[in-house]
Amino acid sequence: MNWKPTPFAIAGLAMMGTPLMVQAKIYVSAEQAQKVLFPNKSFSKAPILITEDLQERMRSASSIRHPFQGDRIWRSADGSWFIVDEVVGKHEMISYAVGINPQGNITGIEILEYVESYGYEVGDAQWRKQFNGKNANDPIKLNQDIQNIGGATLSCKHITDGVKRVVLLYELALKTPALAARPK
Amino acid sequence: MRRCKPFLGTYVEISIQQENKNETISLAFSAIEKVQNLMSFHDQYSELSIINREAHLRAIAIDPWTSKIIRIAQDIHQHSGGLFNCGIGHRLVKAKLLPGNLDISHHDFGGIEDLQFVGQDCIISSRPLCLDLGGIAKGFAVDMAVNALKLNGIHSGCVNAGGDMRIFGNKPQTIHIRNPKVPSNVIEIGSLMNGAIATSGLYFFNRNQQQSYIINPLTSKDSDIHHVFSESFSIIANECVYADALTKVLILSKQENHSCFKRYQAQAIRIGV
Repeated sequence: MNWKPTPFAIAGLAMMGTPLMVQAKIYVSAEQAQKVLFPNKSFSKAPILITEDLQERMRSASSIRHPFQGDRIWRSADGSWFIVDEVVGKHEMISYAVGINPQGNITGIEILEYVESYGYEVGDAQWRKQFNGKNANDPIKLNQDIQNIGGATLSCKHITDGVKRVVLLYELALKTPALAARPK
Repeated sequence: MRRCKPFLGTYVEISIQQENKNETISLAFSAIEKVQNLMSFHDQYSELSIINREAHLRAIAIDPWTSKIIRIAQDIHQHSGGLFNCGIGHRLVKAKLLPGNLDISHHDFGGIEDLQFVGQDCIISSRPLCLDLGGIAKGFAVDMAVNALKLNGIHSGCVNAGGDMRIFGNKPQTIHIRNPKVPSNVIEIGSLMNGAIATSGLYFFNRNQQQSYIINPLTSKDSDIHHVFSESFSIIANECVYADALTKVLILSKQENHSCFKRYQAQAIRIGV
């Protein structure tokens, strides 16, 4: 172990420090996440129209208010599903991918992006849009030098809620595809 | 490359210098998942839940990883004078900070010291238990993930489970912690190479207006059970399991020179407000 404290860590002083206005961590792209969750499988896009009734049921099952977007669903020939969704908290926005096997079991969850922000309305779709679809090589240079942050544990409850609505989506609309309305 | 998955109730991030090592990183995440499956209080089929239900009735064979964490927890319990004790699950259930899978009303629960090994990986308890490994399992999981990475040829990287992190390899990394006064600000506290750090603060917790999840195992006064504080406390140690567990000793003792830190070659940092 080699530890070199800064002087004020030794003194135990809470200096103001660097304001963490926007911290964007981009882990993997949707494409990379697909390969991680389903190595050697190919997927094609299988968007569905989310009816108001389905949207409402997903809302009440998960307590997530912002609507699910039906255009981020992929399917493989063997009946596996790959779904991308995002959850938005007061100060954070997290997009994530869920893999579901042909038996309907979750095979894995992968975080794509984690954006933490203070002083911006994360809930604003326009603001969030700038992060969508970027990958780890994109030059979003917002506090990128700040990587290793310790501190109280951030709960992943939002993701747990998000996965709940993805599972419900599978149960109600994907499992029996004949019932789902598909855009041409 | 860098990946992140939700485990242990938080976000676990693994970053390594090398690219194209997805399978190796997946192995490290599997180690984290194994710890979650063995030691989750929420999962009634975990080994921990079986211990809580049955260890006072019969001897139970457990996974070597569960043995290891129990031995470490007992050692820290002994050398912290009881300030660190996993036998506080019932207090967290009562405060609705943990789910009530277990009937807690009729028992006089013992602590981690009541578990005895009757074999290398076999335990029995002299009293009913309501153990919660929430104060040590994240750090242990981080260590197991680091071991998996190292065993598979990764020389340098970082595993961070919601602020409990370990850095390995020969590249010093700058460590920031959140300012307890203004959690949207981060303070650079130093640089770390081949070591672990864990930090406790209540600044995210208070916004949910729940009771503090830091339990004082030595008090019998109801008003002192949930320990409230405004500072942030960090421990730096060789392994993350010790960093994680010893933050509780630091929070409750408020002694940066507590004798047990020396035993585990740990250093304490307290940031006031």
